[in-house]
Amino acid sequence: MGPNGGVHEVADTEKLVILVLHGPDDPEVATIPFVLAVAAMASDVEVVVGLQGRGVELAVKGAADSVQARGFPPLAKLLDDYRELGGRLLLCGPCVNGRDIDASSQLVENAEVVAAARFVAEITSATNALTY
Amino acid sequence: MSTMVESELAALTAAKVVDARGSACPGPLLEAKKGIGAVSIGNVLEIWSSDPVTKTDIGAWSAKVGHSFLGVLPAEGYERVFVRRAK
Repeated sequence: MGPNGGVHEVADTEKLVILVLHGPDDPEVATIPFVLAVAAMASDVEVVVGLQGRGVELAVKGAADSVQARGFPPLAKLLDDYRELGGRLLLCGPCVNGRDIDASSQLVENAEVVAAARFVAEITSATNALTY
Repeated sequence: MSTMVESELAALTAAKVVDARGSACPGPLLEAKKGIGAVSIGNVLEIWSSDPVTKTDIGAWSAKVGHSFLGVLPAEGYERVFVRRAK
């Protein structure tokens, strides 16, 4: 791990950062970024998904269980696929705290609560960044 | 690499067949990713999909990761997509 928390300063492979600001109340827009994330990882692209605003609610255990956008796989399935491929979920700390989410007990296992500088480091070390 | 004609595809013997019928994007792609690892370099993976976008998705994926997209055969209610592992 490097001095900046594991973020390489220069990407030596392709890396995609996907920021998700929509929660379970917007199934389609909450689902599409995970379709891309899984497809990118299947294509040997490193992926980091950042959850901000209502997006952090997607990382609460059980929150995705009933999220199903028409034409897409269930969000819970995509989250499982993403985790099994080694995908990480970085959650905006103030967004978690502002929703009274207990980070020690309520979040899925591949979730990590971080602050702004970590997002900046991930984005600036990526080859591309998308926001949903 | 150009794709094969239907008679060539029909004559192929796949080393592994992945049944992704009923699975929506990116399910078939993910199954292809998992399946290709079980196929030796130079051998063929066949993916069955009822999602019509799978053939273009697998074609793009093959080009991206360096495998050879061989083509598609229509079947009853689904398509048979062929990829040769190249690395």
